[in-house]
Amino acid sequence: MDSSEMNEGEIHQIDSDDVIKEEDETENEEGEDLTEDAEALKAELAKIVVHPPSYEQSLMEEFDQAEFSPSYKDNLPKENLVLQYAENFRRQMVQLYRDRKPLFLNPVNECGVEKFVCTTIRPTLLEFKELYNWDGAAEFVADYLNIEPLKPEYELPKRLISPSTVLKRQKGNCFEYSTLLCSLLIGAGYDAYVISGYATKETCLADESRDICPLLKKKEEVQEEARKKEMKKYNVKPPRDLRSKFELKQESKKEAEKQAEKEKQRKEEEERIAELEKPPPDPYFGLRIHAWVLVLSGKREVPENFFIEPFTGLSHPMDSSNYLGIESVWNNVNYWVNMQDCSEGVKGLSFDLGDSTVWEFMFPNNDKPLLKIPDAEDDLNDMDDDEDDEEHEVEKYLDMPPSWVDALKLSHRDFQMRCPHGKKTKVYKRAKLEKFAHYLMKDGLISRLSVYEDRELTDLMKVHEYYAHRSDKLTQKLTNHRTGQVCENFDPGRPRCLKEHQFKSSTPGPENERVMIFYHEARVDGLVKREETQTEMTEEYSNRDDFLFYKYVEFGKRAKKFGPQETSSANKGRPINKMIQKFHRNRNKPANEDIAEIIFHVAEDKIHISYHTEDVRIAASTREFLKPPNWDEKGAVLTFNPEMHQTFQVDPMLPMNKQVELYEMLMELLKAEEKCRNEVRDSQNEVRNILDDRTKEEAASELDISVYDTERNEKAKKHRRELERQQLEEKMRKQEMDIDYLAPFLAKIGNPEKLSKQQAFSLKEECLADLKQRLIDKANLIQARFEKESQELEKKQAWYQQNQVSMGKEDEEEYLTYCKEAIFRIHILDLRLTRHKEQAPHKYMQLEQKLRNDERLSEFF
Amino acid sequence: MSRLYDTVEPAVIDEEMLKKAVEEQGPKEEAGKIAKQEGIDFGDVLSLRLDFLNILKIDNLWEFTKLTKLQLDNNIIEKIEGLESLVNLVWLDLSFNNIEVIDNLDSLTKLEDLTLYSNRISTIENMDSLLNLHVLSLGRNQLTDLENLRYLRRFKNLKTLNLSDNPFCKQDEYKQYVIAFLSNLEFLDYRLVDQQSRDAAIEKYQVSRDEMLHNEKQAEIKKEDETKRQQELEKHKNAYVELMNGPDLFEQMYAEDKEGQKLNEMPGLEDQLHSFKEKFMQICTQIFDFGIAEHEKREEEVKSFWECVEEAKQDNKRLGMVHIDEFTETKKRMLLEMSQMSDHKMVEQYARDYNDKIQVLWDKLMGLELQLVDQLEEVIKEFERNMQDMVGTFVENVQALLSQCRDLENNHHEKMMEIAIVTLEKVIKNELDDEISDDLKMLLVDKDTIINAVSSSHDVHLLKIDNKEDDIVTRINQSLKNLIEQIHQDEEITRNRMRVSEINNLIDHLREEMDNLEVMQN
Repeated sequence: MDSSEMNEGEIHQIDSDDVIKEEDETENEEGEDLTEDAEALKAELAKIVVHPPSYEQSLMEEFDQAEFSPSYKDNLPKENLVLQYAENFRRQMVQLYRDRKPLFLNPVNECGVEKFVCTTIRPTLLEFKELYNWDGAAEFVADYLNIEPLKPEYELPKRLISPSTVLKRQKGNCFEYSTLLCSLLIGAGYDAYVISGYATKETCLADESRDICPLLKKKEEVQEEARKKEMKKYNVKPPRDLRSKFELKQESKKEAEKQAEKEKQRKEEEERIAELEKPPPDPYFGLRIHAWVLVLSGKREVPENFFIEPFTGLSHPMDSSNYLGIESVWNNVNYWVNMQDCSEGVKGLSFDLGDSTVWEFMFPNNDKPLLKIPDAEDDLNDMDDDEDDEEHEVEKYLDMPPSWVDALKLSHRDFQMRCPHGKKTKVYKRAKLEKFAHYLMKDGLISRLSVYEDRELTDLMKVHEYYAHRSDKLTQKLTNHRTGQVCENFDPGRPRCLKEHQFKSSTPGPENERVMIFYHEARVDGLVKREETQTEMTEEYSNRDDFLFYKYVEFGKRAKKFGPQETSSANKGRPINKMIQKFHRNRNKPANEDIAEIIFHVAEDKIHISYHTEDVRIAASTREFLKPPNWDEKGAVLTFNPEMHQTFQVDPMLPMNKQVELYEMLMELLKAEEKCRNEVRDSQNEVRNILDDRTKEEAASELDISVYDTERNEKAKKHRRELERQQLEEKMRKQEMDIDYLAPFLAKIGNPEKLSKQQAFSLKEECLADLKQRLIDKANLIQARFEKESQELEKKQAWYQQNQVSMGKEDEEEYLTYCKEAIFRIHILDLRLTRHKEQAPHKYMQLEQKLRNDERLSEFF
Repeated sequence: MSRLYDTVEPAVIDEEMLKKAVEEQGPKEEAGKIAKQEGIDFGDVLSLRLDFLNILKIDNLWEFTKLTKLQLDNNIIEKIEGLESLVNLVWLDLSFNNIEVIDNLDSLTKLEDLTLYSNRISTIENMDSLLNLHVLSLGRNQLTDLENLRYLRRFKNLKTLNLSDNPFCKQDEYKQYVIAFLSNLEFLDYRLVDQQSRDAAIEKYQVSRDEMLHNEKQAEIKKEDETKRQQELEKHKNAYVELMNGPDLFEQMYAEDKEGQKLNEMPGLEDQLHSFKEKFMQICTQIFDFGIAEHEKREEEVKSFWECVEEAKQDNKRLGMVHIDEFTETKKRMLLEMSQMSDHKMVEQYARDYNDKIQVLWDKLMGLELQLVDQLEEVIKEFERNMQDMVGTFVENVQALLSQCRDLENNHHEKMMEIAIVTLEKVIKNELDDEISDDLKMLLVDKDTIINAVSSSHDVHLLKIDNKEDDIVTRINQSLKNLIEQIHQDEEITRNRMRVSEINNLIDHLREEMDNLEVMQN
């Protein structure tokens, strides 16, 4: 079995995913035992491992300059100034600290133009909800891009490509990764920085094969200690312990020793394994350059500082051993150089960027307030320095120019595709994780986690598959290749409310070992769980009106049939040997009449009942009936005699039950047995139906598309197109319905079907005359108004002349405003008249043209 | 419709008739056969039909205590009687009889459906206790007074009512009147009462209906207040300080003290009396508050005691059940093995083993019981001690406070004496300004009389205080004693006996089972 699976596993790795299913099937068909020859063949085959050749890409990829905006190709004067400033800073640093490695300050961009790193960060808040939190953003960046390792790995890259281009080409080195992530984080309001420094080989190459897959890490179980029983005043004393104290002590001592021994062995074992798994020594240890992201506490309710590894999207604590040193840190406003000793990695580094003794800042407009509030005494001593600083600031004040990078854009489709081409594979310690974009795979697969026994990933142990949008609501499938167990999880909403289904892949048919868990809240019968083995079936219920919570059925062997099938019922199912039903206590009944358990010994024609115990008692009453011999004959009179019944009553004082009551009870029980039997058959049928459904669903595996998903929802698309079409039609119709000049004149001559030439001419004449008249009328109207207005003004002026002397200041003002307004109105009227005069001939011409072209008149002209 | 007497022979409900009815209406077929062989207990019968039998008098039904449904229609019954013991009755049919008065139904509190159709009833009455009534049929009777229907308002659950063919149905306003005043009705005279007609009826009788509702509401509020007060008083009584938060004790002191009342009319006494009353009341309130607080403390104590006892019993029960379950498992296994065995000796060996196991079970269960007895005994003792302490403190404090009362009374008495003598002198000298009543004058004749009066008043007061003290002390002691005795009886003796007999019963049963099996195998 093992070796066969090893082989399978190998194929998995090499072949594409589609093969897997077929492989699984063939595996099922294959026998479990292999002949020796086959084993040998397998061993031989296992030696052959194929390494796909990797071709080296030329380091400097050329870009089409045309597609970039000018800010990419040139520098603003201010940017040049900043570059000079940076150059100056670099020189000073080199001067002061000769043995320091060069700083990452002004690499060229994709157009070969030098750009300062701070301006390459372009804070952006994209419209996707998932990118608002750091973990979502980091995961996205890690998924969305492909890694380009630095070449050589101990030298700073020459080029830093803008985040917008990185998003387009979907790959980048660690600096580009960090710049993009930092842009998103700052855009979302985090206090984030790009760090340039040194890291281990595994981190630089994003080699996670020594880390446990984050999906496999067990969540730390928050086990709440069972609350200690409250000591009440009248708690009874526990019975006296009569065992020897000494012996107990000795025993516990021995136990402790054993435990310690075991612990020691376990530790040794662990150490041994850890030793084995250690990576080989790295010649470039401590020299490998890496960039990652720092998030400082304070903003966005981040409680404490942490690192984000851009390649994996995971957070690391401040004392992470993956990072070996920090050269410099920057965000979109400033650049800091680390002045602390990194001989012990990043452990214990201070990230108080305002403290200029540990972080040398580049621009004095340090937006980090000096966090250290100097004491009064220090204040006096530092007075001189402070003053110097201030002068310095005033003198050389230079703020960061805005980012030269275009706004980051990400289409909805690209965001959903997530990874380059929608697929990504990651290798962890003894595990492989494959990610797929939603709707990419036909069966709705979104990720597959394969767990292996060994580190070479050849011995497959189990496969965990996650699905989304499946119409059969399947969300997870766990296949254990060792035991052959398959566990499928479903979302609510399936018919029959299945929640979980565990079975053996070798025996998927009915009447085999399986466990089904249901969404019992949604089921009428309150079924929680159904467990089956080959000869048994157990069902658990909850919240039922009849208080049933447990049902157990034992099946017998199917009777072997000879010859033709006699009855149809024989085909139905296996004979039932025994059925057990258990009930919760029904408080409305006295305990002595409230059945706790009924056992139908079908094979022995017996029915056994146990009742609940009363609150004050410890024993329960029981009853046993022998079924009348002819109980299964239809319509037969069932006889009863007292010997068919046995009982034990806890309270001997209670009156005996009457024979009639017993008889009726027996009748009830026979009915109950029949009902129970039918229910069992129903359950069996249900299992069969569910399995049939599952097979069909597996074959079809349709995906659901949300009504809100406008891109994928074909139906909605069609509907929208239809709407658009309708709108267009509506518009067309409206245009057709334009104003008909001729209508009133046609009406005058009685809307004739066909116009004679005479009529057409007169019609045209009339129409034009009408327009002419109207134009003249309009001009006259304007003139009349003009005259009226000017007359009034004149009158007012005359009146003013007369009364000028006796007028008060207020009246005068009133007059002046009136004059102003009147003149304004006159002016407007004047303008209107001129315009009208200008336009009137045009309008006339237009109408004439229109009439000439009118289809009703055109034939005559 | 009433049958004529002389045309048929009136019958009497006798054993034969009942037996016949019961057998006819009892279980059928095979069950009936078995029942007949065994005989049916009248006490088990749930429903009984005695119709068209010319019964004149309801009698001999006292045995049918479980009866829920009784049909006595189409007889010539004249009086409702003999139904007192049928307390479980839900359904009673007395239609087509000659009943004139509704009576003797008080004990049938579970009754939901009552049919008195076609009788000679002229007033609705005597049904105060039938509060669960759902369906009532009073059709074809002699009801004439519409006002009388208001009696039916007390049945809050009454949904279906039949009043057709009564004299008052001829009145025009009959239907609307009924609907307006019995607005909870859903069916009247075989018809659904729809919302429209209900609204119309209510509108018509708006004024009188509102008045009635108002009165009912008032009465209800009053009743509620009364019950609330009763509950409060009950609580105070349980705290043994009832009425101490008011002037009750003070008033009681003067209630039987006629001379004191007279003396209080003496001039110049108001201030003194007032301050005396105030101080006295203050102490009373102190006693009251203290009593309530102590009572709550005691309640808390009792509660926690019972919780712990219950817990201990539950734990013990659980252990016992575990033992029994374990044994049952072994038993099943052993029986199975035994049934497959052929060797006689081995079977005997198994039987012996089995018997030993039974003995072990008995030991275990009895051990548990003994343990519980010990535990409970200890706890009960502790509880008893604590309770006694608490009661002791309570009594002591109350006594101290009451003795303060006595001091006050003594002081008051002295003052009274002074004032009395001064007044007497004034009276003798005729210097008294105010008029005094004749009763007082009678006392102010000479020094001996007045002194006697004052001291007798004082004695009465002291007696009252003493009585109160005695009352409180004896009552609290008595109830404590009762409680403790009860606990001893229930928790120690009765419980223990029950458990022991239960265990023995179980063990006997198990042994018997084994014996039977052996006999069978042999």
